Amino acid sequence: MSLRNRELIPSFSRPPSRVMIRKVARYEEDLLALIYESLREFQLPIKDKTVLLKPNLVGLDPQGVMNTHPAVIAATRESFLKLGASRVLIGDGPAMDRDTYAILESVRLNEFTGKLGKDFCDLNIDDVERVQLETRATRLKELFLPKTVLGVDFLVSMPKLKTHHWAGVTLSLKNMFGIVPGSCYGWPKNVLHWAGIDRSILDINAAAHPDFAIVDGIMGMEGNGPIQGTPKAAGVLLLGNDPVAVDATACRVMGLLPERVEYLSRAGTMLGHVEASKIQQLGEAVDGVRTQFAVLPEFSRLVA
Amino acid sequence: MPSVAISVLKMQNPLDSSPTASELCGKTLRSECFSLLRELQNADGGWAFHNGEQSRVEPTCWALRALFASEPYANDQVFRKAARFLQTSQLEDGSWPATSQMSTGSWVTSLVCSVLSGDALSADYVKAGLKWICEDFPRDSSPLRRFVQSLRPKSATVSQNDSYRGWGWTPRTASWVEPTAFALMALQEAVPQQLPKNVVERRNLAVSLLYDRMCPGGGWNCGNPRVYGVDGDALVLATCWALLALRDAPEKAGRALSIEWLRKEFANTQSAGSLAVARMALQNYGIEPPQAERNLQDWTAEDLAEQGTHVLAWVCMALDPARHWPAVAVTNQKTSEGRAR
Repeated sequence: MSLRNRELIPSFSRPPSRVMIRKVARYEEDLLALIYESLREFQLPIKDKTVLLKPNLVGLDPQGVMNTHPAVIAATRESFLKLGASRVLIGDGPAMDRDTYAILESVRLNEFTGKLGKDFCDLNIDDVERVQLETRATRLKELFLPKTVLGVDFLVSMPKLKTHHWAGVTLSLKNMFGIVPGSCYGWPKNVLHWAGIDRSILDINAAAHPDFAIVDGIMGMEGNGPIQGTPKAAGVLLLGNDPVAVDATACRVMGLLPERVEYLSRAGTMLGHVEASKIQQLGEAVDGVRTQFAVLPEFSRLVA
Repeated sequence: MPSVAISVLKMQNPLDSSPTASELCGKTLRSECFSLLRELQNADGGWAFHNGEQSRVEPTCWALRALFASEPYANDQVFRKAARFLQTSQLEDGSWPATSQMSTGSWVTSLVCSVLSGDALSADYVKAGLKWICEDFPRDSSPLRRFVQSLRPKSATVSQNDSYRGWGWTPRTASWVEPTAFALMALQEAVPQQLPKNVVERRNLAVSLLYDRMCPGGGWNCGNPRVYGVDGDALVLATCWALLALRDAPEKAGRALSIEWLRKEFANTQSAGSLAVARMALQNYGIEPPQAERNLQDWTAEDLAEQGTHVLAWVCMALDPARHWPAVAVTNQKTSEGRAR
């Protein structure tokens, strides 16, 4: 039974969100132990459930700076299985290149996860279902979304910590652009650009409602992201049960003001918490891990 | 004529020499892909992207392309059932939707017009589809929008000529390389009597757009050759479709550069889908694909089906030297200007 498309809860009646920051200097560290222990703290309701990990697979990336690192994806998958999930799928629908398997080969995902077979889902070509958009942040009345996304019990957004040349930052909420199927909307999913990127992010997240977020900030990207930016080591993983709160915290780690990221600010009114006072901070303190990320001049207003 | 150094395809007579082990593997894989493709046809005549899913227009078109790549098809039962599926999927305005639940047309209209172009029983459907294609102008390059743009400071984010117009993935968006290439190919394959009056104008604008959107180092990506002053990287599939669409277009220096980019990139290409389509694109220009790190025999038919019916179909086509689309250029001269279709 799907948990997608749950009712929107106004910010004032939401319980505080929980976000954990973990210091991780390198991908070669014992990520499985670290992620498993971190997830245990959240006591997630995933026993015997199907979990979908939605990493950020943008393009060919042999250097490992653009996409969510496969070591993080594999360790997360293993952790959810250890925590009792019956099945952990991995799925994405890259926006610019329809050859999803070329991207998988370039990041060597199979080397980290083993052969995935049907446990990998190319969301660009999955069967789709019509979803009425309740939020109407855009003029779009409906979107066709992958049945796999709508059918899983627990959806985890797993972005890379990056700045973005159109949206300011791309984190767990923007990462959900990748669930919109290219086979219906193209490569890129240009309908969303015309509807407004910031507003589309709200509609998509309200419809798909990711349950959890894990941000790969071990190596991030600054400047002209999400593809052509500069690698920036931040040495962190962020995890949390509210993707809005995770993104807000990630902004603070990047030295940016989440309230000034248009879509994040609006998401704080209906999807989760942006205010630091409503986020219970676990693990490291933001001040201890802050790494200033450069942004394009158009987004200089975001710098704290 | 492209200035790239090319090796010439030699047409092999099967009686001249014994097939190599690689050729035998290729034949076996093709036969397995072919059988699997036939098995995957749904009861409604269409194909899904994956076994057990709902029939969609795009995989149906690719499956038909592959199954009838080198054989007459008009009276084949498989073809007739699939053609019926496509015919009943057409929307009132002549377009085809990406999925039957959608009520607006999309780029797959071009695929259907191509694949049904030779079928007399589908002539009316194709004619309506071609009309829709020629009437579908992207919104980003409308005269009004270009006028408004001209009043604004010149954008530093992208550099492209907005007077050229191609096609978008969906109506009323922007021109992108791949849908433009597929529309161009549909117009090229059409019976001339079925083409709307503005077809020459649309073709010229689209060819100009493709050349304008080429990456500075050759090849194409989705359509952003330069963003914020940084050159975009070309992608294999987009480059292949653009090259196939430009096969009959006037030669410009960029095309040769793009062929050379693809030839070099082929050697490092790691995915079955890109390898298959790149092989067909190069052979269409009379170029023998170079040795690559991976080859199509690295995958089984089942692996390919897992990646999608379109990938299975592309590999099936790539392994068929007698395919008529995109044809292997027949040439014994040192030229890349072989037979286009």
